[in-house]
Amino acid sequence: MLARVADSLYWIGRYVERAEHVSRLSAVMLNANLDLTAGAAQVGDLALTALGYKEAGKSGQLYDQAMGLALNREDAGSVIVSVSRARENARQVRDQITTEVWERLNLAYLRMTGEAADEAFEADPAQFLQEIIADLHLIKGAVDTTLSHGEGWRFLILGVYLERAQLIGSLLQVCLSDAGAPAVTDPIALMSLLRMACALEPYLRAYTADINPRSILEFLLFDDEFPRSIRFCTSRIQQRLEELSRQVGASRGEALRLAGKLDARLRYADVEEVEAIGAGALLAAVSGECAGIHEAIYETFVAYPLEFSLPA
Amino acid sequence: MKRGDGQAMNSAVSASEFMAKDLLMEDVLPLAQAAYLPGAAYDEMFDPAGSVREHYELLQHRMISLGAEELAERQRTLERSFLLQGVTFTVYGAESATERIIPTDLFPRILPAKEWSVIETGLTQRLLALNAFLADIYSDQKILKDGVAPKELVLGAPSYRREMQGLYVPHGAYANVCGSDLIRCPDGAFAVLEDNLRVPSGVSYMLANRDASRRTFPGVFRQAGVRPVERYPDLLLSTLKTLAPERRSDPQVVVLTPGVYNSAYYEHAYLARLMGVPLLEGRDLVVHDNRVFMRTTSGLRRVDVIYRRVDDDFIDPLTFRRDSALGAAGLFNAYRAGNVVICNAPGAGVADDKAVYAFVPDIIRYYLGEDPILPNIETFLCREPSQLSHVLANLDKLVVKAVGASGGYGMLVGPHASAAEREAFADALKANPSNYIAQPTIQLSTAPCLVDGRIEPRHVDLRPFILSGESVVVTPGALTRVALKRGSLVVNSSQGGGSKDTWVLAEEPRP
Repeated sequence: MLARVADSLYWIGRYVERAEHVSRLSAVMLNANLDLTAGAAQVGDLALTALGYKEAGKSGQLYDQAMGLALNREDAGSVIVSVSRARENARQVRDQITTEVWERLNLAYLRMTGEAADEAFEADPAQFLQEIIADLHLIKGAVDTTLSHGEGWRFLILGVYLERAQLIGSLLQVCLSDAGAPAVTDPIALMSLLRMACALEPYLRAYTADINPRSILEFLLFDDEFPRSIRFCTSRIQQRLEELSRQVGASRGEALRLAGKLDARLRYADVEEVEAIGAGALLAAVSGECAGIHEAIYETFVAYPLEFSLPA
Repeated sequence: MKRGDGQAMNSAVSASEFMAKDLLMEDVLPLAQAAYLPGAAYDEMFDPAGSVREHYELLQHRMISLGAEELAERQRTLERSFLLQGVTFTVYGAESATERIIPTDLFPRILPAKEWSVIETGLTQRLLALNAFLADIYSDQKILKDGVAPKELVLGAPSYRREMQGLYVPHGAYANVCGSDLIRCPDGAFAVLEDNLRVPSGVSYMLANRDASRRTFPGVFRQAGVRPVERYPDLLLSTLKTLAPERRSDPQVVVLTPGVYNSAYYEHAYLARLMGVPLLEGRDLVVHDNRVFMRTTSGLRRVDVIYRRVDDDFIDPLTFRRDSALGAAGLFNAYRAGNVVICNAPGAGVADDKAVYAFVPDIIRYYLGEDPILPNIETFLCREPSQLSHVLANLDKLVVKAVGASGGYGMLVGPHASAAEREAFADALKANPSNYIAQPTIQLSTAPCLVDGRIEPRHVDLRPFILSGESVVVTPGALTRVALKRGSLVVNSSQGGGSKDTWVLAEEPRP
């Protein structure tokens, strides 16, 4: 597969995942905005901090913030920008993805960028965001059910899980990095945290309605079956990279080495240990190593030096 | 039977009773205010008496049974589906770029088998002669020595590439993909207006239009017995493979595009996808030791055949334009060394030069010893003083074209131009006469189109696609380009033209 194409597919995965996550945060913020409790007030802060907006000194009405997250074209992190970039990448590799994937992605793009988008958001923001999230699920469904699960699919999925590990990691860093004295204890805020990770229902099934910071940390870090837990993500990253490295020749394995290391770290840790040393250290390591894997993927598969690969 | 097409056939009125004006009967198409009035031009659907031509009868039944509202609805469905598929081109404005769909008309243009067979044999003849001409020009130049075509005109053409002199080209096939523009003259005969031998585009719209018309008129399509165009991508691939350098088993074919910002990008991606080959940009290519590679995730991979959709000037900054970032440095040398094949061959454009065009009938006689099956349009070469004065005296009747330009740019349509525009063009002509040719203004044939809910005649041309490798293959279909403005004769998409599907009927209609 062309190196440029692999890079684009990887970015499609990242942008689609980012768009879905930001849509969900926007929706949770708006939902919390309806309540007048202190816990609800905290939710907007948490979401914006997790997305890196607090350092940027952004402030304003929660509704405007949520709408901006969805539709502000000037904001590089907004849903509309992520969807546009995903589509731009898809256009560049149109020959490598199926019509089904392309049409779903194009539809999401047309919905977000259409003239009626702002109006539709204002008329019913919850509905609007729900439809966008559904669009993004359809894209991923088409990726899984119509693309061959070969090299291209692996790069795309790699992008999805790396992005997800970083996004969930950042959410946990903001809310629960000090496991002894978590930033969030209010039950409403904790519930919103689970919603932001799209984890409420699976969590309830695993832990019942006993919502506490320790269990949430355990669930979102270590659950083996929940597709948004960090352990789940790192194990998928490791698997995809192992397959890819095998596919292209095993000699160039820095990305795989880092992914294996991260996967092992998550696989053999547990919540007691995390409580003892503090979740913050582990979450910082996850974030740093994800960034390292991202770099290594680029070096290994895309921007490798030519002198090593010219035929003798 | 799908969608009630049969019902139309069973209606009490027989086909022959329909006339052109019936298309616009108030109860059929309430929005219509004037009758469908084909002008002086040949109309594809109606004869001069206003009766429907036989091969259009099925479609006419369906148009009437559907009615104005349903037709408009199907037109909208068609446009939505193009938007969703991304069958778009990009229009660059002052600040932002917007993507638009290619204006597409839902009514197919229908060609009976007998007419098509003339076109098919005529185009095959023409391409064989043009390839022979190119092989000669880039080797012994016999035709120039024999004085059949003027030497300074051919070798002075901007698209002549001296770098191609003496190069071996597989099967002598220089123009592997050709898209000739045909027009139907008022007498009903087809003539060639232009040969496009460089990087002709439009074939993806032919395929997309076909997809759409099968959905819009499924019953009529089935009953009419339309010849399929869907094999174009695999025929293109096998043509490209026959050109591969020798001793390369299972050659790697690629499509080379200028990139996502090119207005024909949709087509490049479409063809790569349907052929199942990689779509490359210049930056994906590496030339080493006169061999061409592409950067893949597993290192460099050899490339054998490049179907390039990048103009000659831009394929190699070492050989052609130095400021080009769209090709790959050293590509032409690798081509010269026979390690890679570039399609169409660089320099093929000299045979579609607008001045060389005037000599194509002589070229056909010279190489094939046959009379041309498809005529040329009468052409005045402004480089000849006597012809220049004729052109200047008749600017209001002629179409004047710049020799090097294409896409409807640098062109004057005399009868439709203002006096000031004609004057400005006359000055340009006098300043640089050899840059221009002139042709009589031909009333292109008209075909019915749905315009703002009404059925109206619009001028159309015909662009069939011809492949040439080991042999020459004409795809039984074409892109019919439509001048969307009433009375306009300019069909280029860059000038606001649209398109419609073209049905070539099989010899025997299906029972």
